[in-house]
Amino acid sequence: MKNRTSSHFFILVLIVALTTIAHYSIHYGALIRGYETSWLTAGRNISLLGLLAVLPVFLKRFTRFQGNWTLYTSAVLLFSIGLTVQYRLFSDPEYTSRKDKAEARQEKIKTLQQHYIQENYSAKKKQMMGLPATPPSPVDLSKETPRPSNEDYSDVLFSGKTINPLLGIIGMIFALILLQRDKVLELLQKNGFLIVILTLIPLFIAAVTSRAGKSIGNMTPWEPSKIPFLIGFAAILAALYRNLARTYWGIPRAKDVVPLVFMAVLPFFPFFVLKDFGQMMVFSAVYATLYLVAVRRFSQRFVLIGSVFLLIGILVVGALPEKTQENIPLLPTLAKPVKTVLPNRIQQRFHLWLDGFNPPNPETSWWKEDYDDYYKKLVEKDPNLPQLLEEDPNLQKTVNVDAWFDILAFQPAQATFGVASGGTTGRGLGLGYPELIPVADSDYIFAALAEELGLFGGLLITFALIVFVSAGIRTAMDSRDMFSKLCAVGLAAFIGFQALVNIGGITRALPMTGITLPFVSHGGFSLITSFVMLGMLMAFSHRNAIDGLREQLAEKIQ
Amino acid sequence: MFLFFLLQFDWQKFRPENLFGGQILERTPAGLSIIYLIGIAVLVGFLFISFLDNFKRSKLNFENNLPNEVRKKLTQTLANRSLRLWQIVFILLAFTVFGFQVYWTYYADDSNEQFQALNYKDLRNRRASAASLRGWMLDRSGNLGSSLAYYRVDQKGDIQRTFALEKEMAHLLGTERGTPGLERSIYKKQVEPMPEAWEILTRIKKPEDEQKDVKVTIDRDLQAYLAKLLEGKKGAVVVINPQTGDLLAMYSNPSFNLSQSQKLEDYLKLQGDGRNKPLLNRATREYYVPGSTFKTFTMISAFRAGKQNQTFNSTGEGFIPFRGSRSILDANGGCEPPYGCTTLNIAQAFEASSNQYFSQMAVDLGRERIRETAALFGIAAVENPEDIYNTKFLSDIWNAGNPQIKNALAIEQSAIVTGKDISAYDIALEGMGQGYAGQMTPFQMALIVSAAGNMEGKLMKPKIEYDLKPEIYSQVLTPQQAADVRQIMSLVTEGSGGTATRVFGNVRAAGIRSGGKTGTAEKLAPLYDEKTGKLKTTKRKVKDDKGNFVEKLFPQMYERTDSWYVAIAPLEKPTLAIAVVVEGGGYGAAIAAPIAANVIMKARELGLLGEQYKPKAPAAPAPKQPAKRRSR
Repeated sequence: MKNRTSSHFFILVLIVALTTIAHYSIHYGALIRGYETSWLTAGRNISLLGLLAVLPVFLKRFTRFQGNWTLYTSAVLLFSIGLTVQYRLFSDPEYTSRKDKAEARQEKIKTLQQHYIQENYSAKKKQMMGLPATPPSPVDLSKETPRPSNEDYSDVLFSGKTINPLLGIIGMIFALILLQRDKVLELLQKNGFLIVILTLIPLFIAAVTSRAGKSIGNMTPWEPSKIPFLIGFAAILAALYRNLARTYWGIPRAKDVVPLVFMAVLPFFPFFVLKDFGQMMVFSAVYATLYLVAVRRFSQRFVLIGSVFLLIGILVVGALPEKTQENIPLLPTLAKPVKTVLPNRIQQRFHLWLDGFNPPNPETSWWKEDYDDYYKKLVEKDPNLPQLLEEDPNLQKTVNVDAWFDILAFQPAQATFGVASGGTTGRGLGLGYPELIPVADSDYIFAALAEELGLFGGLLITFALIVFVSAGIRTAMDSRDMFSKLCAVGLAAFIGFQALVNIGGITRALPMTGITLPFVSHGGFSLITSFVMLGMLMAFSHRNAIDGLREQLAEKIQ
Repeated sequence: MFLFFLLQFDWQKFRPENLFGGQILERTPAGLSIIYLIGIAVLVGFLFISFLDNFKRSKLNFENNLPNEVRKKLTQTLANRSLRLWQIVFILLAFTVFGFQVYWTYYADDSNEQFQALNYKDLRNRRASAASLRGWMLDRSGNLGSSLAYYRVDQKGDIQRTFALEKEMAHLLGTERGTPGLERSIYKKQVEPMPEAWEILTRIKKPEDEQKDVKVTIDRDLQAYLAKLLEGKKGAVVVINPQTGDLLAMYSNPSFNLSQSQKLEDYLKLQGDGRNKPLLNRATREYYVPGSTFKTFTMISAFRAGKQNQTFNSTGEGFIPFRGSRSILDANGGCEPPYGCTTLNIAQAFEASSNQYFSQMAVDLGRERIRETAALFGIAAVENPEDIYNTKFLSDIWNAGNPQIKNALAIEQSAIVTGKDISAYDIALEGMGQGYAGQMTPFQMALIVSAAGNMEGKLMKPKIEYDLKPEIYSQVLTPQQAADVRQIMSLVTEGSGGTATRVFGNVRAAGIRSGGKTGTAEKLAPLYDEKTGKLKTTKRKVKDDKGNFVEKLFPQMYERTDSWYVAIAPLEKPTLAIAVVVEGGGYGAAIAAPIAANVIMKARELGLLGEQYKPKAPAAPAPKQPAKRRSR
C-alpha cells in the first residue's frame, strides 16, 4: 500500500463504518438483556472517530504532512477498538453502578428469564404463573421496554471520556507542528538535563502528597513525564555515545558513565515511591533499548544485558512460590534474604503471576493480614466457625481459597476466566460477561476484549501493534541524527513495551502491573500522552521525508 | 427511476435482525461482531502491506555514493542494525504474549489442573445458570394444575420459585443449603456450554422446555393429608406402592417452611433447634426401636426358612433363652390375650403379638437366617454391637435416574447385630424388635411390609420419578408365601383378638381388607426443659484419662414410648405399604393405627386403591389450583 493520504483516508472511513456496526451489535446485545445503551455516547464515539478520519485531509493541506500515515492509521484503529470495548462496558448498568450492582444484575437475569418463558412455556403454564396466556412465541424486542440509559447530555459531553481524547488530538497536532522545527529539537537536545530536573519537581510533590501508590482521583498524572524523561535520556546518550565507545580495558571513562547512569536512575526514584512497578518495568526496557541502539561495543552491551537479567533473576527468585522453590536445591536459602527486602505488593503480584490459582498459606507474611481480615468478617457472620474449623481441617482450606479469590485473586482470576471463555471468535459483542471483571475498562481492557472478540480479536490487536511499532522503527531508521533516532525508537518502544507488559499481565506471561494498554484503555493522562507520543513520532517521520526530498532535490541540481 | 427502485425495495429485509435470523435473538449481535472482526481483519491486512513496505531497508540517498567499507562503519548503519534486531525481538515477544492467550483459550481447560479445579470460581457459570429456569415438578397425576414446584410472578413482577406444599414437602424438596433434596437433584441438567459467536450463528434449534419438567410419584393430596394427620405430633409416615415401588407420600413432623429457610440466619436457627430437629427427615434419617412391628420381619424369616408351621409354648413365667438369663415376657406380664398361655401357631402369635413366640422363633431361626433376610431388605447385619452406630447412608436401594437423586433421598441404613458375641437372649430380643434390632428407620419398616405386600413376594426398589420402570431389589418370598403372610397380617385388623381390630372398623365397613401390625417401643431420649426448650443436663463425676475425677455434664434421659403401625392395603392386591411412627405416642393401637386407617380411607377417596374401592358417590372434586404461596 502506497503512503497516500487518500488510501489511508479510505481505511479511516472504513474504521468509522465498522465501529458503527460494532456499536449497533452492543446496543442489540443490551436490548436482549433488558437495558438500553446510550445513543449519545455512541454518537460521541462515532463523531470522535469521524474527526480522526477527517484530520489527515486537513493535516495534509495545512501542514503539508509528508510522513508515514501508517503510524496514524494503526493508532486510530487501536483507539477505535478501545472505544468499542469501553462502550460495551460503560453501557452496562451492572458495571457502572456502584451501589445497586446486585439490583442491576437481578434485572438482567429477570429479563432473560422472561424471554425464556415467552419462548418456551405453553399458554397454560403462563396462565398459572400469572402471566397473560399466550402460546410460545419468539421474543419481539421492539415491543419491550428496556431500562433506559441514565446518561444525559452534560454527562456525555463534559466527561473525561469526551474531553481527554480531544485534548489528546490537540496535543498530537501541537507535537506534530512543534517538533517539525529544527530549533525546537535543538532546544530540547541542549537542555535535556534541565527538562528532566523540571519534571522531577512536580513528580516528587505528587509522590509525597499521594500516599504511596494511591493514584490521585483514579488518574495517574505522572504518565506524561515519560516524554521529558525520554528526551533527557536520548539527549545525554546522543551527546555521549561516541565517548562511550572509547574504552580502556573494556571500560568507558567514569566521566562519561556517571552522568549517563545518573540520568538513567533519576526517574526510578519517584516511580518507586509511587509504587508504579509497571512503569519502572517499561522504563528499564526502553532505556535498555536506547542504550543498545546507541552503543556499539559488544562488551558493554553484554554488561548491560547481564545486569538486566540479574535484576529480573533476583526479583523472580525472591517471589517464586514456595512449592517451586523447594524443588530446586539451594534456592530457598538464596531467596530468603531477597524475600525480606521485596515489598509485599511485588511478592503478591509474583505469586498471582506464577501460581495464581493456588492460594498461598495463610501464614505467608504478605497474605496473613488480608486473610485475617476476611476471617474476622466470617466469624462475625457465623460464630460457630472456629469450632467447625477445628473439627474439619479441609474447611480451613476452603476458607482460604474463598478469601484468596474474593480479595487478591478476584480480578486477575475473573480476567483469566474471561480470556479462556472467549474461544476463537469470542462470545460476540454484548453477549459475554466482561462486566464481572472489576475496573475492566482501564488495565484489564484486554480481558474484556478477549472475552467478546476472542483469540481473533487478540491477534488483531497484536498485529496492529506490530504494524505501529514497525512504522516507528522505520522512522528511527530513516532519521539522520542520533538524537531524533533515539527519540523515535524510544517513543515506539514506550508504546510497544507498555502494550506488551499490559497484555502479558492479563495473559499471565508477565506479572500484572497497573499500566494501561496505549490507545485502547480508557484513561485520562495515559491516553493524552499516547496521542502526544504519536504526534511526536509523526513529526520525526515528517522530518525524515522532508530530508529525503531535500537530498533528492540536491542530487538533481548537481 | 433509480429513486423509485430504492423506495420499492424492501429495506426491512436488510435489517441485521432479519439477516441473521431473528428467531434467536443472540444471532444478531453474534453475526454483527463477526462482521466487525472480519472487517477489522481486512483493515489490518491493508496495514500489514504497509508494514512489509516499511520492513524493506530503503537506503538513504547520501549513502548511495559511499563505498561499502565506509558505509559499514557508519554510525547510521550500526545503529540501524541494532534497530532491526530490536524490531525482530519485539515481534517475537508480541507473539509470545499472544501465545499465552492461545494457551488459556485452548489448552488450560484440558491441561491445567489448578485451573480446572477452581473453575467453579468463574462467576460466568453462575450467571449462565441463574438465567436458566428449573423445570416444574408435577405430582403423579401429571396435571400442571397440581404442580408441586413451579414459577410464579409476584407483585413486584419478579419470577419466583414457588412450592405448592411448602411445609408438607420441605424434607423431600430440600433447601438451597446443606444436603441437597429433590429440588437440587431431580431436574435434568441442561448443559449449556457458553457458545461462541460463530456457534450461535450456526446452532440450529433451541432445547424445548417440556423435557425439563419432572413428574414425581408423590400424590399431592395424600402428602398434604399426612401433614394434617401428624399435626402437633412428632413422627413420620411413609406410604409406598408395594407393586411398583412408587413413593406415594412421605412426611416427617415437625417440618419447616421452605421459604423461611432461605436466609442464612433462619437456616441456622432451624439447625440449632435440637429439641424439635425440624430439618431432620425422621422418615429416612432417624432410628427408632421398631417394637412389635419387627415381628413381621421375624415372620418373613420364618417363612423363608420353612418354619411357618412351628408352634411354641407361651408360659406364665416367660421364655428363658438359656439357663440363668432373664426371661422374656409378654407385654402385660403374662401371656397375650385372647389365647392365653397355650401352644401358639404363627398366625395366633402374630394376631396377639406374642413376644414369647417370636423370641423363640428368632432363637430357633438362628443368626445366619436373620442375617440372610436382613440383607434382602438392605438392613446391615453387623458383627459387633459397637458397629451398629457406624452404618452409612443407603442410596442404592433407590430406583432413580441419576446418582444425585439417590444421594438426596438416601436412607440412614438400618442395622441389626448377628455376630457371635451376643447371647441367645439378645437374639430373642431382636426377634420381637427390641435390643439390638433397635436401629430401624420408618422407611425401612415400610420396605419390609412392602415385600409382603408385593404379589410376587419381591421387594421393589422405591422410586420417585414417575416414568421410571419398576426395578426389583430382591426376591424375599415366593408368591404363595407372600399371600400367606398377608393373610396372617390381616388377622391384626380382622381377627377377634387383633390388636387393631377395633380401630380398623370403619376401614372394614368401607369394604377394604387390610393387614398390619401394631408396635409399641421404649426408647431412651434426651429430656428438654418444657419452658426454655433447652436440654436438661446433670453433673456427674467421671474418671478422665489420668484417673482423676472430673465433673462433666450429661443429658438427662427419659424413656419415651413410641407408637408404631405398619400396614398393607387392600389385601387382595396391596397398593399401599404404610409405616407410621409417632414419638411418645404410647400404644401402637392408640395413636399410630388410627393414622394408618385414615391414610387408607383417604387413599380410597383419591382412587389410589384402585377403581373398585372408590366411594360410589364421589364428592365434587375440588378444583386443583396451586396454593398461592410464595417462596424466597
